[in-house]
Amino acid sequence: MRSADYGPGFPVYRVTAGFDRFRWMGPALAGLVFVFLLAPFAALIFATDWHDFHFAEGDLGAIRTSLLYSMLALIISVLAGTPLAWWLARGQGRGKWFFDALLMLPLLTPPLALGILLSSFYGPYSPVGTLFSHAGLYLTNTAPAFILAQIYGAMPYYIIAARAAFEGVPRELEQISQTLGRNRLQTFWQVTLPLARIGLSAGVALAWVRAMGEFGIVLIVAYFPEGIPVKLWVNLQDIGLSAVYPLLWIFFLVAVPLPLWIGLRARRQTQALF
Amino acid sequence: MKQSAPALHIRCRMVQPLALDISLQVRGFTVLLGVSGVGKSTLLKAIAGLLPAQVSPYGDLAVEQRPIAYLPQGYALFPHLRAWENVAFPLSRSAHRRTDALALLQRVGLEDLANRFPSELSGGQKQRVALARALARKPRLLLLDEPTSALDMATRDEVMDELVREIYEFGIPVLAVSHDPHLAMLADHMAILRDGRIVQEGAPTEVFARPGHVASARLLGFRNFLSGRVIDSEDESHLQVAGSDWQLQAEWQAGLSVGTSVQLALRAEDIYLQETGATHFCPNPLSVQVKACRKEGLSMRLYLEGPTPLEMLLPRPQAEAAQISVGNFLKVCVQPRHVQIMTAE
Repeated sequence: MRSADYGPGFPVYRVTAGFDRFRWMGPALAGLVFVFLLAPFAALIFATDWHDFHFAEGDLGAIRTSLLYSMLALIISVLAGTPLAWWLARGQGRGKWFFDALLMLPLLTPPLALGILLSSFYGPYSPVGTLFSHAGLYLTNTAPAFILAQIYGAMPYYIIAARAAFEGVPRELEQISQTLGRNRLQTFWQVTLPLARIGLSAGVALAWVRAMGEFGIVLIVAYFPEGIPVKLWVNLQDIGLSAVYPLLWIFFLVAVPLPLWIGLRARRQTQALF
Repeated sequence: MKQSAPALHIRCRMVQPLALDISLQVRGFTVLLGVSGVGKSTLLKAIAGLLPAQVSPYGDLAVEQRPIAYLPQGYALFPHLRAWENVAFPLSRSAHRRTDALALLQRVGLEDLANRFPSELSGGQKQRVALARALARKPRLLLLDEPTSALDMATRDEVMDELVREIYEFGIPVLAVSHDPHLAMLADHMAILRDGRIVQEGAPTEVFARPGHVASARLLGFRNFLSGRVIDSEDESHLQVAGSDWQLQAEWQAGLSVGTSVQLALRAEDIYLQETGATHFCPNPLSVQVKACRKEGLSMRLYLEGPTPLEMLLPRPQAEAAQISVGNFLKVCVQPRHVQIMTAE
């Protein structure tokens, strides 16, 4: 198309040509970022010694530990975090902003530092730790300590995601549910939860990955029982890089599919609903 | 039908977030008119129990126990439920829950769309699903918030006629709030809300004919307002009211003595052109000049300058015949029965 088609003073041709010249830049840049992000994962395929693929001693135990305790940490995080997230989204208390800000603390604290804080608070020489140990619950290098560390790593992320999910549910729909004869609890189950489920699923997925991959806090509070992240570190130190790959494969196979599946499902449902 | 229209007297008093003190008769299909922000939606929410207020009847019941159905603007259908599941939402879990929901959908003519999600329905269809859902609980009062606002102009009248017909079939009192005078014309009873209270209430024919205040008149579609004084009320058939440069005759009204300050309201569509050489007598002639004109659908809206600024709405054939353009001098007229008198505030 030439500028003459639109009359004088309308340089359509040149403008279009200008856009054409740089049109490749967007996809090229996107492709570059994509390659940058995924290249290390491709390296895993080439670096793994497929002819001599075997687990190191104790790897299977680490896998079992991580799976079982991450699941427990996830369940506790969801059960305890959901009411708090709901209150943060819907509550009208005066000091809510203060709790909002405080919730950011465990998120902003480096995991190693949080681990040190936990061991000071729940450790055998602290008042709280002593209290628990009297009840027979030792919160250092035990299964409960491992789960506790994972909860601290995962729950804040779940709460943030769940709060956003609850805030996304139009309050009007909850009110309408009440005018249709449903009380608050019934409304929560029948309206709020189903409508927030996409965001809640994202929160669950995020918490699962955080719990599985938690290293910093676990390292300080519950080095034993060894989970996958600690065992990766131990293998790297004791045997070398080659001993890390089999366990890393397992980690990816176990930790990543759930968030991926939920993410894809959530996208489809969002498109169907709105 | 209209004589036996179900009735209910509503009282509502609230301080926050808005000061409201309402006493209102809901008779059949009742429309409460008010400008935006006057507290119409707030009032409905208070009656439904969603905002704290002193309300009667049912004020002592929790929201979920009040036999009141509430249809907000946009209808608030649950997006994760199909049409029939939305209607079944208030029904208790029983074997015939689905059958009951389908029967209600049938009553609003939508049984074929029972399996659709709200995102797959048009505005009018959503409204009927919401109506069926609201009525599923067998409420004793139905509240409608701006029922015409989410409908497009092309189907609005049709959808509203249908809605009103269905409401009559269900036979419960309905309170609709709106800023749309056309909706009020369909009502059995209407009221006007201003400054937190009801300023006028009655049958639409009465209220439209005799708005009590300038604000009410504005809401009812009057476009011309003139301030003047009664200068003559000797015989009991007509009044003469005069402003600085004009004098108009209006129908006689009790209680207005000479010297009383009054406000006059004229509808743009009640002012008409006086054809040159016309034989019939014009009691209220006005000489004006066209300042601006604007096509408005099939009519022409004229902005006139003269003894007082005026707006008139001219039907298209007349406007075309008269070949009106800006700057023209015209003689216009208004009948005394179309001059509404309100005492000055």
